[in-house]
Amino acid sequence: MKNKTRTLSRRKFIAGAGAMSGMLLTGCDTELYTPPKIRSGLMGVSDVLTMASQRLLMSGQGLVKEFETGDITKDFPAWGRTNPEDESYQKLASNEFTDWSLSVGGLVNRPASFSLQDLKRLPSRTQTTMHICEQGWSAIAQWTGVPLTTLLEAAGGVSQEARYVVIDTYDGWYDAYDMFDVVHPQTILAYGLNGKDIPRGNGAPVRLRVERHCGYRHLKFVKSIQVVASVENIGRGKGGLLSDYNWHWYAGA
Amino acid sequence: MELKQTGSWVLRHSYNVRICHWINVICFAYLFLSGIMMFLQFPELYWGDVGFRGYEAVFKLSNWGLSWEESDALGNRQWGRNYHFLFAWIFLFNNLIYVGWNLKNRHFSRRMWPQRDELSKDNLKKELKQHLRLRAAKGDAATKYNVFQKFSYLIVIFALFPFMLISGLAQMPAFTAISPELIDLFGGRQSARTLHAISTVLLVLFVVIHVIEVFVAGAVNHIRAMITGKYYLSTKEKT
Repeated sequence: MKNKTRTLSRRKFIAGAGAMSGMLLTGCDTELYTPPKIRSGLMGVSDVLTMASQRLLMSGQGLVKEFETGDITKDFPAWGRTNPEDESYQKLASNEFTDWSLSVGGLVNRPASFSLQDLKRLPSRTQTTMHICEQGWSAIAQWTGVPLTTLLEAAGGVSQEARYVVIDTYDGWYDAYDMFDVVHPQTILAYGLNGKDIPRGNGAPVRLRVERHCGYRHLKFVKSIQVVASVENIGRGKGGLLSDYNWHWYAGA
Repeated sequence: MELKQTGSWVLRHSYNVRICHWINVICFAYLFLSGIMMFLQFPELYWGDVGFRGYEAVFKLSNWGLSWEESDALGNRQWGRNYHFLFAWIFLFNNLIYVGWNLKNRHFSRRMWPQRDELSKDNLKKELKQHLRLRAAKGDAATKYNVFQKFSYLIVIFALFPFMLISGLAQMPAFTAISPELIDLFGGRQSARTLHAISTVLLVLFVVIHVIEVFVAGAVNHIRAMITGKYYLSTKEKT
């Protein structure tokens, strides 16, 4: 089957985002209330209740609280994986990521590759937010990066069938984000932490910020991005590495 | 003269109270266990918005003889998260049904709301003494909730349960967008987590005292009453 791609201008993309919130309010688009693969039994019921109720409360796409620069936590933790062993990553890191590039492919109208410099030339957003880890910790940091929508527009916009944005990383992680999170203004690909380049332990050179979720979905060491219509062929088909291993896909909690 | 034990069966608990009670027992067991499984893998509590390993803590399990690594090995937060949220939903629906049902049939106002004479100083003193001596109520008084029972049930149902729910929500990332004011109300995200834990201790304390009281007042009779609804009221008569 051929992909019927339709060019989406920036205006159309944003109009699409608005229409999406509209659909949410009227409750037409069940996709935005449910994970890509609903777990079986009562656990699935619980997942949908949680996600649907929270998505309903967030349907206005309001921003998460932004803190003052004075609230920034000293020594923001470098938790989880702090240095991917991957050979190509180590090679890129030894060269301060000057050869790093981010491919944006799949259901975008002009698949493209972006160097770190390219990303930094795109319009940026800086936000001081609270990072909440599912394990229990939280800390405040200032992130600077490109809104994901801006990047997708730079790749020509997404086609009409686009449903998820899949991110792969150098530490072997992958996760899929639905359009509700993709279009949120605070969903950014961050290259700066507290006014400096992101250190290795926090995901150099680029990590995702998807503020309304637990830390495990803010993927570090971003390698590539693809826009897809379905997550069936991604990992085990449940929409991410952790959901493949029986975690909630929706991590608003 | 001899003492003859006689008695009669009285209906003590309506079926909605019985059903909701046992569903709550299961929910509490799962919520407590799954909460502990999560806590063991991050066994410290903090105050304010910020808290992480190495940050100034208000409670550290390692000060109580269990190191971070030992505690971590005992926990399982994936299991914990899955079951905590599942049973939180069941718990919420169960208690909404319970409260709605019993507001409608005036169970709260008739059986659980303290009467004026119960609140007199003398009565409070008398009942406190009975409680401290572990004396169970006899006769007609045994068919009703006593004043301390009423207090504790009302506090648990209308204060601690909602507090657990709201302090739980205040820990969720979605609420940094939905209602940052709610998080601030607790004094920050970590404060909400700490208060959630303190509230857990209070609930466990309630359950422990509740179970002790059941044994003081006659475990078989009371547990049977919570299952079948019927309570055997014994009376001693002189013949």
